[in-house]
Amino acid sequence: MDELQFRRRLYEDPNAQDAEIVAARKDNPTREQFAKDIEALDRDIAEALRVPVPEELSDKLILRQAMASHQHDKRKNRVHFALAASVAIAFGVLFNFLQFSSAYTNIGDYALAHVYHEEGVFSNDGEAKVTLASLNKKMTSFNGVFASQIGELMSADYCRFDGIKSLHLVFKGETAPVNVFVVPERTEVSFTSAFEDKRYHGSSMRMGDNHVIVVGEKNEEVQKWRDNLSNSTQWSI
Amino acid sequence: MSTKQVRYEALVKALHTDIYRYAYWLVQDKQVAEDLVQETFLRAWRALDSLKDEKAAKSWLITILRRENARRFERKRFEMGEYEESSITDTVSPSTEQELENHWLRARINEMPVDYREPLVLQVIGGFSGEEIAELLDLNKNTVMTRLFRARNQLKEALEKTPLKRGTHNG
Repeated sequence: MDELQFRRRLYEDPNAQDAEIVAARKDNPTREQFAKDIEALDRDIAEALRVPVPEELSDKLILRQAMASHQHDKRKNRVHFALAASVAIAFGVLFNFLQFSSAYTNIGDYALAHVYHEEGVFSNDGEAKVTLASLNKKMTSFNGVFASQIGELMSADYCRFDGIKSLHLVFKGETAPVNVFVVPERTEVSFTSAFEDKRYHGSSMRMGDNHVIVVGEKNEEVQKWRDNLSNSTQWSI
Repeated sequence: MSTKQVRYEALVKALHTDIYRYAYWLVQDKQVAEDLVQETFLRAWRALDSLKDEKAAKSWLITILRRENARRFERKRFEMGEYEESSITDTVSPSTEQELENHWLRARINEMPVDYREPLVLQVIGGFSGEEIAELLDLNKNTVMTRLFRARNQLKEALEKTPLKRGTHNG
């Protein structure tokens, strides 16, 4: 290793300790002195490079990270909350949809389902306990009035079946109760004037803003009920 | 406290001094250096899971800091302009001889082109080898060694020209 190379190597790295450098320094006082000078220079450089670090910089770094991760958590919490809210809303919408949307496309299916749903609740031997006055009180929300009773009325109650608020009247029939439903007209449920299945048959008509549906067993003269209804009720729009 | 938190605090305690000094010599401004270090450690926190080897932590932080610094230039075309002595010189007047030397040497290092200064800082403060510096700066090793040589050579020559230091480093 020549002189120039030796000096250059030390300038590049004063702490170089490889065999070549060690050998070059050995038994050569000039080189040894040069190496020592460069080491001293490097100590001075190191000292100069060690500029003062702002006080409490490490505390600031930790504080800043703590704040940032707290913000991050808060954001995460907000996201979680928003997510939960969205899910809740979705469930709400779905529930509403299932609860209040009609599963029946026509008024006949609706009425039959309603009857089957409440099968066994009413028996034909029940007491006719509903007075004309209390019936008419319930009729007010449908803008209708009964001028006279059309039969023995065992029950008159509002019920929300399949999301439709209706007035459900149960009259004593020939062998089984006769059901009369007063249902506000709804566009999504189509009107059918007559319907039947194996056990029941029924008839519906428009009265005021409502559909009035009569459902009775097959032996029941539904048409007669229907006529009586038309004759004894008055509807205002 | 989470293990991530513990790791982060250990990282800050062990390395913030070196990282701040590296930043200072890179940007030559105390405030900018501090901001840069803050930004660097914040990014380090977010990416802490990607740091697998603790031994690589310092070079990892330096890489983040260099990227952050480059971004700073993109962001607002930061005009450092020519080196201004007034902004860099310590306002504290040096008293002891050692402080005087330090002060003088700092000024010389500040005058040095950043291309020479940066490898020097990485070697002396960071303790990185020529290969490691080459990798950090994306240069080949010979270029790094040449720059280190020139950096020290400049300082040595400046010292020899200066009455203050004459007699100490006249080799």
